Amino acid sequence: MWGNYSYGLLVIMIAAVIAFFALAREHDDLHKLLLIDLVEIISLGIIALLGTDLAEALILPGLTVGIAELLALSQIYCTKERIRAAPVKGLNIEVITKADAPLILSVFLVVYGMVLSGFTGGAVAGLGLVFLFISRSYREELNLLEMASGISWALWIFAFFVFMFLPEYWFIALMGAAIGILLKVTVKMSLVGTMWGENHG
Amino acid sequence: MIIRKISHFLCNYENIMPLFAGACTLLFIAGFLFLPIQYTDNQLYPKTIDRNSSLDPYDRGGPPFTQVTIAAQYMENSPAAGLVTSYLTPFSLYLSRTTPHMGTTIVAHPGGIIDEILYNTRGLDTVVEATILFIAFAIASYIYRKV
Amino acid sequence: MASIGGIPSYILEFGDELVYFTPYTITLFLLALTFTVLVIISRPERQVDIAFGGDAYRAKEISLSEMRFRRFMAIACGLASMGAMVTGDIFNFTLFTAMVGITNVGIVAAVKSPHVQDAAYQYGLVALSATVPLFAGAAVYAAATGSLSMIELMKGTLPAVPLIAKAMLVIGVVGEGMAPFYAAKAEMFRAPGAPYVIMCSLSSLLIFLRVVEVVLLG
Repeated sequence: MWGNYSYGLLVIMIAAVIAFFALAREHDDLHKLLLIDLVEIISLGIIALLGTDLAEALILPGLTVGIAELLALSQIYCTKERIRAAPVKGLNIEVITKADAPLILSVFLVVYGMVLSGFTGGAVAGLGLVFLFISRSYREELNLLEMASGISWALWIFAFFVFMFLPEYWFIALMGAAIGILLKVTVKMSLVGTMWGENHG
Repeated sequence: MIIRKISHFLCNYENIMPLFAGACTLLFIAGFLFLPIQYTDNQLYPKTIDRNSSLDPYDRGGPPFTQVTIAAQYMENSPAAGLVTSYLTPFSLYLSRTTPHMGTTIVAHPGGIIDEILYNTRGLDTVVEATILFIAFAIASYIYRKV
Repeated sequence: MASIGGIPSYILEFGDELVYFTPYTITLFLLALTFTVLVIISRPERQVDIAFGGDAYRAKEISLSEMRFRRFMAIACGLASMGAMVTGDIFNFTLFTAMVGITNVGIVAAVKSPHVQDAAYQYGLVALSATVPLFAGAAVYAAATGSLSMIELMKGTLPAVPLIAKAMLVIGVVGEGMAPFYAAKAEMFRAPGAPYVIMCSLSSLLIFLRVVEVVLLG
């Protein structure tokens, strides 16, 4: 019996055949990476076909795994091909004397991110930190950021165990998980931002 | 002889990716034959949409600190299920009462159905997912610093 | 309730996701545990190059940080395989499998040799694209049966799992566990590997063994 689900699956499978066929024919390493980024969307689509709240919750880990592996692979690609960030020397445009951006913008973004908390909050606060590092030519401590990332991860695991073993304290667990993810996303955003920007200073 | 040829083909790692992609292509083509797949209506965490709610696509809970019923697999294992989804921070509560747009930013605050599933009933998924992210960042930053 | 793995003897509850031990999975779990402990306590080997036709030989220089990093990856790989052995949830199993894949990439990619890096990259591409059939298989499981719990699938009261979902799961695991077939090979001859490379092979073997049980469930 052909229901909506089967029709959706048919479309996704056609997309999968096209994408994997392209992947099988591609020889260039960089293009393979780009195509895989495209292929990942198919798995998100097939999960989304579930159409329940569970699907939404499953998409998030699926997306994260894809992005994480893509990040690691692109770094391996850069090393393998010996690609380095070429330092930019004197742009050929009229440059007005570089001045520090007002701190208030970063502060606003970080505070607003904290108010939002959760995923979006982390992204906004991370943007604020990146902005701070870039605009104020800050020599940031990568190790410090990584440590904060590790601590927030531990906080999240702790929250998970509270949920599992002390369910009556669910509120504390929820807040712990929310703050953990806020810290984590913030740190990761600023890490990615500064990893790219480090060599240009 | 055939095995030797196959192993000779496989020992060149440039060939692995096309081989795997080809296998996936064949698999999904074969998938057409199985196609009318019966969708079971009795799903976990079913989605219902109340267009009149100010939390529109994500409204699952009643007032904060009340427990709503969540169709989880093992209800008895998560006694707190249904509390997280109804919780709103005071700021979010204010937004949801004054504007009709809170639902579009529901992932931006602690609470809500996604947090319910990700942290509470299926928390182990999130732990593994966060760990994968952690590992990938460790690999990337190690390789980045090494060169 | 009987299945290939035997009767679940001990069930640990994490909300909707159950961790269960059958005689089959507990054997695999103990194997992974033993190897992880071995990786923690053992000292890595040193590779020696011998000049052909002479008495000269020299040990390859390996930095301490590289060995530390690879040990960390090998331990993470062991933990991921342990998780994949005992989890009782289809989606959780796919996540653990994906983690085995990325840690295998990490074990190999830390080596400086360009050849090894190239092998790691190619393997990483396969591991990354294998997440597609893996997650797709889990999603079809959920859509067709309405459940992701292996315990529920074992009971036999749910609708049958479509063959295509099982095939997707298997090919996904094959993609994630491909490391020993060539990445380790490139590695063993050109870079000092043991005991960390053994972890690649062992974890792949374990996830293959586990997916057989998973596929025969529903």
